[in-house]
Amino acid sequence: MIQLKGVNKYFYQGEPREVHALRDIDLTIEKGEFSVISGTSGCGKTTLLNAIGVLDSISDGEIILDGKEIANLSAEAKTEIRLHEIGFVFQAYNLVPVLTAEENIGLIMRMQGFDDAQISQRVREIATLLQIDDKLDSLPNLLSGGQQQRVAVARAVASKPKIILADEPTANLDSSNSKALMNMMQTLNEKEGVTILFASHDNYVVESVRRIIRLDDGALVT
Amino acid sequence: MFKLALKNILYYKGRSVTTFLLTFISAFFFIVYVAFMDGSHSSMLKNALDVYTGSLQIYQKEYRDKGGYDYLIEENQKVFEILSDIEGIKAYSSRLETFGIASSKKHSAAMMLTGVDFSKEAKLSQLQKALQEGLYDSTGTCLYMGSELAKKLQLTIGDEVSFVGSAIDYSFVAELFKLCGTFKTGMYDFDRQSAFMNRPYFDTIFLSQNSSSYIVSMAEQMSDNDSIAHQISRDLPTDLRVYTWEELMKSMVELMKIDSLFGYISISLFFLVIFFVIMIYGFINVSTRIKEFGILKSIGLSDRDIDRLLFYEIFILTTGALMLATPLGSWLVYYFEIYPIVIPGMSEIYKEYGVVSDEVPTRFEPLTIIWNVLVVFFLNLLSILYPMFYVRSFTPVEAMRHV
Ligand SMILES: Nc1ncnc2c1ncn2[C@@H]1O[C@H](COP(=O)(O)OP(=O)(O)OP(=O)(O)O)[C@@H](O)[C@H]1O
Ligand SMILES: [Mg+2]
Repeated sequence: MIQLKGVNKYFYQGEPREVHALRDIDLTIEKGEFSVISGTSGCGKTTLLNAIGVLDSISDGEIILDGKEIANLSAEAKTEIRLHEIGFVFQAYNLVPVLTAEENIGLIMRMQGFDDAQISQRVREIATLLQIDDKLDSLPNLLSGGQQQRVAVARAVASKPKIILADEPTANLDSSNSKALMNMMQTLNEKEGVTILFASHDNYVVESVRRIIRLDDGALVT
Repeated sequence: MFKLALKNILYYKGRSVTTFLLTFISAFFFIVYVAFMDGSHSSMLKNALDVYTGSLQIYQKEYRDKGGYDYLIEENQKVFEILSDIEGIKAYSSRLETFGIASSKKHSAAMMLTGVDFSKEAKLSQLQKALQEGLYDSTGTCLYMGSELAKKLQLTIGDEVSFVGSAIDYSFVAELFKLCGTFKTGMYDFDRQSAFMNRPYFDTIFLSQNSSSYIVSMAEQMSDNDSIAHQISRDLPTDLRVYTWEELMKSMVELMKIDSLFGYISISLFFLVIFFVIMIYGFINVSTRIKEFGILKSIGLSDRDIDRLLFYEIFILTTGALMLATPLGSWLVYYFEIYPIVIPGMSEIYKEYGVVSDEVPTRFEPLTIIWNVLVVFFLNLLSILYPMFYVRSFTPVEAMRHV
């Protein structure tokens, strides 16, 4: 479903402090995968995830989503791809502070133009699955870290994107919350068939996925 | 998006309150300031025009440059006929000015003696209202004299005044008049130099039947004045010309323009300050929210969406503030137009500008208020441009890393 061909990423290209963050990455992610990109800190996990999510540009190579090259599109086209095809979960939850949990979860669907009834129904469905249906009216700062992260997952999942990219989703959570979150994401993967790609060096994550993609100093380890 | 903007406004209270208050204050201040400025200008003009000048005057072409009896209007009747056919004219009359020496038993002074039609002047000017002592509408050898002139000549009502001047055929005129009334318009120079006399007797002395220095007319509505002037010009004999009050009061009109200009310059400075404060608050607010915008961008909001969000925020704040400031400002301005503020002694200070009352009126003019409000509105919208530009300069990843 997602195919990376010869992807390279440099920061500060051409300068003395140049960083070669991704080296000739060739990678295929299939529909329905539940995988992690793993490796030491600074090996390029976030960079790779951001590249797949067209959140950041790449220096050369191609990224093909369902047969369509997406890495070299215009900024507007990339925005559209992020809105419609990709869901993000970040380490720092990254919820919109002024919106309630329900509004945060429904935000992307609202941007996509769904009507209130559709949004409300889908939000409830996902919230029940993630066990946050009793917190829907709360603002993010009144929720625990684990709850905030589940809201963030719900927001990413609600609009049924082709892939969820989750960068260190458990890094700010304690072990029981991490476990619970991973269980729920596994359920989502199984029940909703969502493709999920993590970037993490957290054991809870690495142990619960079905495929581990190892990265070392920007290159895939085979 | 609109809802999100509203929520942001409620959430970021400091910025919202500051922007709201500043917008409110500047709009309110602007409306009131301009209304006072316009009000004092128009009341000065109105006073000046009402007192004596009228809204337009008709002259023989050369008279205003050269003066004297050689350039009098010789066919009053013809001009009167033209004026009587035009709508919107409240009153008109002819005046004939002569200059000479007036003497009492003790003193002498230069005097401008003008032959007028008292009954018409009553509708045209403030001469009758300015009556101080004695009679206004008098006949025969009666003089109606400025109070300052009467004081200078040490005259009281009923005293005799001798006058030496010339008739319009340049023959010598020496006459004995009687002081029948005095007036005080408040315009010092006018009150110190002028005296009036009924036209029939004046004409027998100065041999001036059917002639005049000029014909003065007052429009019912000042706003119609230009079109009236235009209509008159069309029918007027070619040796005559219409002067509107703008031309007659040229120096005063220019003084007011300069005054307005300075007014606008000082208020522009004020706005510049307000503009930057609003912009800086907007900028600070936006800077603290860079991460939030990064999130929004990463989940699929475009730069345009973010611009729209920021625009809505300032739009809501501005509109809210203006919706409060406009009626309040308008009401205040309207109120002070009807019940002007009185500053005792003001007419003394501004005597030379023709201010004859201590009232400081405002001018309630919906159109002016609308453009005042629009200026504030657009300045506010403009103030968000730089913050918008700043937010755009971040890529989603940079923005999310921002702390
Ligand atoms: N915006 C950036 N500008 C410059 N260099 C960067 C930037 N982002 C990442 N890098 C560099 O690229 C390399 C890979 O960084 P990346 O964040 O992808 O690592 P990571 O595997 O996610 O690390 P961690 O486990 O600590 O999150 C690092 O050497 C980092 O210093
Ligand atoms: Mg990382």
